[in-house]
Amino acid sequence: MQVNKEIKVGIADMKITRQEGTLITYALGSCIGISFYDPGIKLASLLHIMLPESKNPTEPQVYKFADTGIRETLRRMSVFGGVKSRYICKIAGGAKMFEVQGNSSLANIGQRNIESVRNILRKEQIRLVRQEVGENYARTMLVDAATGKVAIRTFGRQEIVM
Amino acid sequence: MEIKHYDDMGDIGMDVMREVGSIGTGNAATAVSGLLNTDVRITLPDVKILGFNEAANYLGEPEEVVAAVLVQMSGDLKGIMLFLLKLDFINAVTETILGFKIEDYSQMDEMAMSAVTEVGNIIISSYVSALAGLSGMEINLSVPAVSINMLGGILSVPMIEFGYETDKIMMITGNFILGQHKLESSLLMLPDIESLNKLLKKLVNAGE
Repeated sequence: MQVNKEIKVGIADMKITRQEGTLITYALGSCIGISFYDPGIKLASLLHIMLPESKNPTEPQVYKFADTGIRETLRRMSVFGGVKSRYICKIAGGAKMFEVQGNSSLANIGQRNIESVRNILRKEQIRLVRQEVGENYARTMLVDAATGKVAIRTFGRQEIVM
Repeated sequence: MEIKHYDDMGDIGMDVMREVGSIGTGNAATAVSGLLNTDVRITLPDVKILGFNEAANYLGEPEEVVAAVLVQMSGDLKGIMLFLLKLDFINAVTETILGFKIEDYSQMDEMAMSAVTEVGNIIISSYVSALAGLSGMEINLSVPAVSINMLGGILSVPMIEFGYETDKIMMITGNFILGQHKLESSLLMLPDIESLNKLLKKLVNAGE
């Protein structure tokens, strides 16, 4: 097996790669990792958002929010020759890390993130083919640009490939 | 002095927070000493203002597993208290209270979890009560919640909580020293910006 180049995606960050390399984002808690893959040209992107939607129209940190983050990722993908109708989308994260009482933002932000991402994808008419979301544990997400396969690493559970 | 970002705190603000931290952690150390029946001290607290990605690296590796006890603050001061501890500290707790040690996190049973939660809760409440006494603020605490998972995922909780107002988080941290051993643990106080303003105002004015 050849050595694969790893490209790290931080929190509120997005990276794109083509043909080869692995995009990786660590320990998604209530945040969501969103991967888009165009199998026609092997174009892969991985976005790590923190919150459901931007409240500021001139928000400079576009990748922090699901709405502005997905929009900017799709724009960048098309610049690299991606064709939206071919995109395959997989998401992971949106966990509830702490079982806190009441209906505070802290208690349900993971779920709100999941719903926001699903809504935006529906509006953009992008196929959401696999999702590893919710529950109460963090997930590391890896996207292989050669195949579009996504691996999910967690603590104390077997790795999932989707 | 009214601040909009954690970065605007300046040297005086940072000094005040460090002072608050050392009184709070001193109180917490005394409480744990009683509980664990041994001499517990805490290092002088550090005040750090870090970006999201830096914060996880400052405290360890994002995928590293830790135990965390979280309490929400409300009332005059809003924010999150987070106590992070690793195996050595967990064992100090389970050995004293329950009489056994564990080898890895998967061996944490319900008893061990509740012992850790209780110790975290005592540390956090004694810290906050010192802070409340010092500032004359009324601070309410939520029921403690516990999680054993990747550090990065745990830290995403306060980051998201303050995500609409800041791209950075402010942490006031201290490490526990039990007898001669420095234990891998830290106590984090994460106030929101509005509360930080209130706190600084109270403390700086009180000193005049």
